[in-house]
Amino acid sequence: MKTRIIGTTLACAGLLTATACSGSDSGGGADGPVTVTVMTWESAETNAAIDKALAGFQDPNVKVQRIDTPSGGYGDKLASLTQAKKLPDLFWCGNDTEQQYTSQGLLVDWSQRITGGDGDFKADKFVGSAMENWKTADGQMGGLPSLMNTYGVWYNADAFKAAGLPEPKAGWTWDEMYAAAGTLANKGGAKYGLVADQLTSPDAPFTMSLYSVSAGGAPFTDNVNHPTKAEADAKYVEGVTKLVDAIKSGAVAPPGYDASNVQALFSAGKVPMMFGGQWLAAGFQTDKPKVKYGFAPFPQVDTPTTLYDSVGICTPQYTANEDATYKVLEYLNTKVWDAVLPASPVAPPAYTPAQESYFAALTKAGQTTVVDTVKADLATEKTVGVRFTTQWAAQVADLTTAHYLPVLQGKKPVTELQTYVEKINGLIKSGG
Amino acid sequence: MARVTGGAPVADGARVRGRRPATASGLSRNAGSDVRAAYLFIAPAIIGFTVFVAYPLIRSFALALTRDNGLTDPVFVGLGNFRRLFTVDPAFWPSLRATGYLVVLYVPLSLALGLALAMFCNQRFAGVRVVRTLAYLPVVLPAVATITLWKFILNPQVGLLNTILDKLHLPTSSWLASPTMAMPSIVIVMLWGVGGTMIIFLAALQAVPTELYEAARVDGAGPWSTFSRITLPMISPIMLLQVILQTTAALQTFNQPKILTNGGPGFSTNVLMLSIYNNGFSNLGRVPQLGYASAQVWVLFVIIIAVIALTAKFSSLWTYSDNTPD
Repeated sequence: MKTRIIGTTLACAGLLTATACSGSDSGGGADGPVTVTVMTWESAETNAAIDKALAGFQDPNVKVQRIDTPSGGYGDKLASLTQAKKLPDLFWCGNDTEQQYTSQGLLVDWSQRITGGDGDFKADKFVGSAMENWKTADGQMGGLPSLMNTYGVWYNADAFKAAGLPEPKAGWTWDEMYAAAGTLANKGGAKYGLVADQLTSPDAPFTMSLYSVSAGGAPFTDNVNHPTKAEADAKYVEGVTKLVDAIKSGAVAPPGYDASNVQALFSAGKVPMMFGGQWLAAGFQTDKPKVKYGFAPFPQVDTPTTLYDSVGICTPQYTANEDATYKVLEYLNTKVWDAVLPASPVAPPAYTPAQESYFAALTKAGQTTVVDTVKADLATEKTVGVRFTTQWAAQVADLTTAHYLPVLQGKKPVTELQTYVEKINGLIKSGG
Repeated sequence: MARVTGGAPVADGARVRGRRPATASGLSRNAGSDVRAAYLFIAPAIIGFTVFVAYPLIRSFALALTRDNGLTDPVFVGLGNFRRLFTVDPAFWPSLRATGYLVVLYVPLSLALGLALAMFCNQRFAGVRVVRTLAYLPVVLPAVATITLWKFILNPQVGLLNTILDKLHLPTSSWLASPTMAMPSIVIVMLWGVGGTMIIFLAALQAVPTELYEAARVDGAGPWSTFSRITLPMISPIMLLQVILQTTAALQTFNQPKILTNGGPGFSTNVLMLSIYNNGFSNLGRVPQLGYASAQVWVLFVIIIAVIALTAKFSSLWTYSDNTPD
């Protein structure tokens, strides 16, 4: 009996050992091809297009396997896979994830390969601001940017025409935007003339840099990745004051406005203007708005200024075979978007030679204002970051809720901005 | 009740018979085997408690004394997390306020509505079983699905409630988007599940002896006197249980604020559990703050223990018990 128990135990232990798997352990056997796993946050349709494109990847020593995962709650899945050390070899990631994970030593540093490699897949072929933003303070790159997010103002052209207002276009001013919002508010089923979540959410302090920088002032922070200071100079305070007035007058939706339905409301003609990203264009192609619409660059004071942001693809430090993973990463950036974006032109690739298919798809769909604005945004010299990507960024969001948003709501005076900035500078100094 | 000198209380007229006086050795043998059996029977509970309660408690306290993101080695910071919580974190005190407000708003309303529903369902009328089923139905429906539906109902722009109010030319509200109305809106959604409270009260009401009501009727007591002098005292032990259960549940509310408001507008619905979740498992690949979240968990734990202790301590002032000594 005893022998049988021991035998069974050993057999179980053997089985467990044989079947045990470690994170990203996709190296395959000594003779078989290496399997590189990929995880995206895309929809089922986009994933199907990616699969189709990945089928074209030809390398006898490398097999690509996309891990099927529902697109919802991607952040939660990523967190659990990270803690379990089971991240796939290539996973879609935001700039903040890349920065935070790289600083923790969790990701492979691709900086040497992308700057010193052969062929066309090189750093200078990527959008410059994106590459800069994906570097940590010590120059590491735990991933590469894949798609750019550009932002601007979506507007209901019919509503502008009905109100006798000129359509927004490059070079329009903040004063013109607020004046138009005031005219369009409470008309045609619209409560507010402008819904600008980026100006009233926890990211608001960064977006307001659009105003100050355009006016020749200082941005809210000198660097979102490795900041040394935050500030609210005279131009910045001027921008906040104008926004407070616009919110008070009912022209602009206040903080707390539920922006989750804003796209649907815009499509229905109940939001005449909204801040948003270029990715909405892909949705508008399938679910066509009832109104004629356009996409304009952000307003300016003196010089054009825009927000920059990008998403990308990261690799865990424990990837089984760096060479194989990098080959697939290169294929994703250089070939896959060409196959995916014509059907769903969601964003311009960060790898500039791959941008052609994106703009061609938009042009074919008649989204000319989107093409113009995205191109203008990508060419804009003055750019500001969307939010801190540091580990203590969540604490900044709390400070924003406690000090900045009440200013916009008119509950605290504009002078409160200096208290807010001091607290953030304290956080920067202490490193959270 | 009679007492046997030097022994355990036995019922009147009871006799200890049919057992021989145990010899010293027999007692020892039986007792030893009984003790082993007893340990064997309670072993699963002890193991379960140790693994699933005691160890996590100790571990979480140890975690609360560190800066730990679950990815790299934790760094011991002593009481630093608690210091940050009470003196630096701008979200902590608003979170406590929001949690307290939720408890103050929800618990009395839940008890009152649950009891009222239970009393209604305790009547005899045609279709009472259907009414009881309908009242309890929300409890068995998936919480996330119902809360998501409520989110649509309470949406200030396209919500069902505002649409109806508007059609009736009644004033509308921003509901979940309003700092003053967001928490009451959440409480309304929580009260949707009041059927759970109702069912326990209903069981308590049905256990009240009918003779008491008959005697009260003979004595000419009205409905209010019957309710306040008979019903309430007789169900007061269950009321105590409900107060403790509902308060504990309210202090740990998570689903409703997470789905409906995610803590906003501002910090108005950022209850402690939500804050713990956001710090411990924040989304979009941000590095989690497990040590800091554990410190928050301990603050919540102490609050819950204190509330239960206070409720239990003062319960004798308002609960009726017939187990008083002669």
